[in-house]
Amino acid sequence: MATTSASYTLEQRPEPTARPKLLSNGVLGMLIFIFTEVMFFAGLVSAHTIVRSQAAGQLWPPYGQPRLPVPETAVNTAALLVSGIVLVLAWFAFRKDAVNARIPLLLSIMLGTFFVGFQGVEWVALLGEGLTMTSSTYGSFFYLIVGTHALHAVAALGGLGWAWLRLDRGLLTTSQLATVSAFWYFVVLVWPVLYLKVYL
Amino acid sequence: MRHIWVAAIALLLLALFPDAAQACPVCFDSSDENRRAFILTTAFLTLLPLGMVAGAGLWVRRRVRQIDEEAAGSDRS
Repeated sequence: MATTSASYTLEQRPEPTARPKLLSNGVLGMLIFIFTEVMFFAGLVSAHTIVRSQAAGQLWPPYGQPRLPVPETAVNTAALLVSGIVLVLAWFAFRKDAVNARIPLLLSIMLGTFFVGFQGVEWVALLGEGLTMTSSTYGSFFYLIVGTHALHAVAALGGLGWAWLRLDRGLLTTSQLATVSAFWYFVVLVWPVLYLKVYL
Repeated sequence: MRHIWVAAIALLLLALFPDAAQACPVCFDSSDENRRAFILTTAFLTLLPLGMVAGAGLWVRRRVRQIDEEAAGSDRS
């Protein structure tokens, strides 16, 4: 009596269909890093919110502390946002023809550099007015949050500069541009939140 | 059986002292503003990672479906 057997052997099984990659390794790694950074900034913003709610007499900035340059920083914020928009244009230009992305990418880097430089000028003025890391919790949070963001901005600008150099040599790949751009978009998009929480 | 009794007594004792638990001067004070800030930031820090993971999951699901539909379309033609 013959026993029942499988209708096909292992070798006859259909090959699994390989799906194309959803994301490049670089972009995936950067997105995971950005997720952790989002939580880091969320922690800072939350701590700021708690400390602000505990301020004596709900007075914020505390009495005797200098006021932050709100309108000037609004202009700087606009420069940063425009930098992000120009980077989007650089991306589309790159997809059409890589060489076309050189000018918008450079413009985006210049606007980002302006943002960081302006922040530096602002810091020098505030230090001159007596706002330091140790002058109050107001000063501590200002320099901690804005300083951390500036550090990220400098790192992201370094990435964009590296991308521009590779583009200039004709070596930049789509994945590389997407990876460094993702980091810059994070820097651009997190700033308005920080501006609203810290400056206003 | 002994562990269950210990756990039950510990829970009972904890349930008897909620005021002592809330007396932490850092976490709670008389200010409504402060209490609201704690509740809001707790909700924010809880929902943010869940939202990000859910968003990423939904995006991957949508993208996979899109790719499958494109593949099915090219097979038909």
